[in-house]
Amino acid sequence: MTTLFVLDVPENISVVTVAVEDPAVTVGRRGHYHEISADGPIVIDRRATGCRHAVWYSCIAGVGRDGRITQHDKNALRVDPV
Amino acid sequence: MTEQDHRVRGVDHVAFPTFDPAATVRFYRDVLGFPVVHSICAAGWGPENHPDFIHFFFDIGNDDRIAFFYYFGSSPEVGGPVGEKGDAYARFGADVPEYFVRSRHLAIHVDSEHDLLEYRRRLDASSWPVEMQIQHETIESIYTHDPNGYMFEITRAMRPVTPQEDDDANLTIDALLDVVAGPEPTFGKLLARKAELIVERVPV
Ligand SMILES: [Fe+2]
Repeated sequence: MTTLFVLDVPENISVVTVAVEDPAVTVGRRGHYHEISADGPIVIDRRATGCRHAVWYSCIAGVGRDGRITQHDKNALRVDPV
Repeated sequence: MTEQDHRVRGVDHVAFPTFDPAATVRFYRDVLGFPVVHSICAAGWGPENHPDFIHFFFDIGNDDRIAFFYYFGSSPEVGGPVGEKGDAYARFGADVPEYFVRSRHLAIHVDSEHDLLEYRRRLDASSWPVEMQIQHETIESIYTHDPNGYMFEITRAMRPVTPQEDDDANLTIDALLDVVAGPEPTFGKLLARKAELIVERVPV
């Protein structure tokens, strides 16, 4: 299980919409956060999000302890189960 | 958690030494149009062989001020040997990374893109043109270095900061304090701790 929290601000919306294009990924809400989760990895393509660099590299509010970021670069964000 | 009332009213002044008052006045008063609002001409006194000095202030809006000290008879070496990088106050060797050298800086606020671009126009027409114009997360900034080598930023908000961003900032700080209290703090540990705080404190 991997869980990723993303704060609900306008700049981050495309991160969430791109994440849920994967049918294995679900998105819920916890207060002002989007809670993105999956049994396996979560992979988000940077170009698909159209995020500027500063937004892309600061879009993550939290990663549950059962997941770990294994890639966060100009191409993609990837969170793998531990 | 802050429970005490918050009484302060912004920046009164921030002060820096200068060894080039002529260029400093050109940059702040003549190029940027920041009015000179105060100055003190003082004879040196005190135990440290304090030089005679002029302390002069420019209005940076909101009645806040940037101030400089010019010490007669002193040169940049008073603060140590001249380095490869840095400014009139602090000098660094060539091996000190740029992110560190640039970390301490002053940013002055404007209300709109229009105003930001007006200051860009003034700087670009001067000897201190804009070096970078960058959109960060929710702000846009222009940067240059003033005649003393101080990094100078003017910034505007692209949208107002929302209350949930303030809440998120407080979660970040609480997570950070937990992580730096433990061994070997990392960004990964911070994000893991922050996820726990979100689950603990934020109602579903
Ligand atoms: Fe800044």
